[in-house]
Amino acid sequence: MTTSADAGGRRAAETHRQRTRFGHTELPEEQERALRRAVRLAWLTIGFLLTAVVLLYLVMGSSQAMKAAWAEDLLSFIPPLAFLVALHLTRKPPSPDHPYGHHRSIGVGHLVAGTSLVFMGTFLVWDSASGLLKQEHPPIGLIEIGGQQLWSGWLMIAALAYTIVPPVLLGRAKMPLAEQLHDRVLHADADMNKADWMTAAGGIVGILGVGLGLWWADAAAALFISGSILHDGVTNVRTAVTALMDARARTVDGSEVHPLVGRVDEELRALPWVQEAGSRVRDEGHVFHVEAFVVPVAGIPPELAQLREAREAVCALDWKVQDVVVVPTEQLPGDLLPGVGARRDEQPTDGHDAG
Amino acid sequence: MRTLRAVVGPALACVLAATAGGCALLPDQFPADPAGTLTRVEGGFLRVGVVPNPPWTELPEGADADPLQPTGVEVDLLTGFAATVDAEVVWAAGSEERLVGDLEAGRLDVVIGGFTGRTPWSAQAAVTRPYASVPDEAGAEELHVVLAPMGENAFLVALERYLLQQEVAG
Repeated sequence: MTTSADAGGRRAAETHRQRTRFGHTELPEEQERALRRAVRLAWLTIGFLLTAVVLLYLVMGSSQAMKAAWAEDLLSFIPPLAFLVALHLTRKPPSPDHPYGHHRSIGVGHLVAGTSLVFMGTFLVWDSASGLLKQEHPPIGLIEIGGQQLWSGWLMIAALAYTIVPPVLLGRAKMPLAEQLHDRVLHADADMNKADWMTAAGGIVGILGVGLGLWWADAAAALFISGSILHDGVTNVRTAVTALMDARARTVDGSEVHPLVGRVDEELRALPWVQEAGSRVRDEGHVFHVEAFVVPVAGIPPELAQLREAREAVCALDWKVQDVVVVPTEQLPGDLLPGVGARRDEQPTDGHDAG
Repeated sequence: MRTLRAVVGPALACVLAATAGGCALLPDQFPADPAGTLTRVEGGFLRVGVVPNPPWTELPEGADADPLQPTGVEVDLLTGFAATVDAEVVWAAGSEERLVGDLEAGRLDVVIGGFTGRTPWSAQAAVTRPYASVPDEAGAEELHVVLAPMGENAFLVALERYLLQQEVAG
């Protein structure tokens, strides 16, 4: 059994201290650029949310929809903050106490963010649904700004309109970065940002409805907004739990098995001394840990150098493949590789690479 | 869920565009009353509940006093408002709970009685913008308001517009 972090690699890494790393993984230049951009965008998001939360709070009044939209903006702080905190932690190299590094902090941050969305979403769904059932008529009166009297509904609409465009732009900018960095928190954040304009638009429709004398429009809009918060929460908790449960590594949006999983086995099978290969790949958050089992041809034990080459070949597949263990065995261990025989090469192995 | 979003998104955009377009042709009453309070009051009767609380509201006392002829700062205010909407005021006296209940049930249009912005009735009644800021016995500023029916926003806006124009000193 050998591990990938050989002494030579370590020394090389030490001479490149300025390079950004995830644990002991050095980031390629492209990912490093993406990371710097993602951090900037996270701070930009926090800055925008600060203005949005203050603005919505000032004009909220007694509208349910405004309350829900405000709560959503407040909750939107969690993903970028979780991203920044997790990033800080993943940069720590592995230590004797944390031999696998700190990559799991991504999963923990993701789960915390998702859980808070579920709780807040549930509360708001209940709140607005009961408002609808109790037939609460929201009073929206006048407001005086600089001697001008204005229906405060217009002010609410203006504040909501302000929150329509920036999140969409932020979300669109973050999405490709999340894929490049294989960062689930960033992906969840981008996904929420991209859908955020709908809650603002829903709120505007609700306030306009109240203006037209439809008392239920406000609570209905609030229900729509809180439903979207709850939906975000459930999606995020599901993805985060899957990752923390050491499920087979998936693409960053969780939609399909990560193509690297199939490529690892293929790379090993392609070696001349390997007859059969099977591996377990888990997503630690950003990086993958691989345990590969290889059956040598005719049962002849491989040379140590051959094992090292095998390991290096797998590591070279992608920067994400960080921690590789190659174990020669007599036959593939069925109890460690469930569904072995069934061969896991149904995944696409060409072209697409999220890394 | 992705497909749901794909449908909801454009649908909302259409509604938004339609409403934005509709803004140019807003109805004459905007915001409007779900129960049509302002339209009913105009040229008709304004039903005002009075909780005695001098100097804001006072009910006449004595043997030959008529409880339907209250006096006070807020009584004068509401008489003035009724004149602007061409309505005749019908006064009703009672306890706070009873009158706020009547307001909720739509049997009254306004309840007065020296209420302040900190009134506990804000879940049962629409609290107007303060029309005056007056120090109480302890010297703390109190923002005086009157209570209107929940969600009758055309009426609320008309009432607030009138109240904000008045110069009231306690």
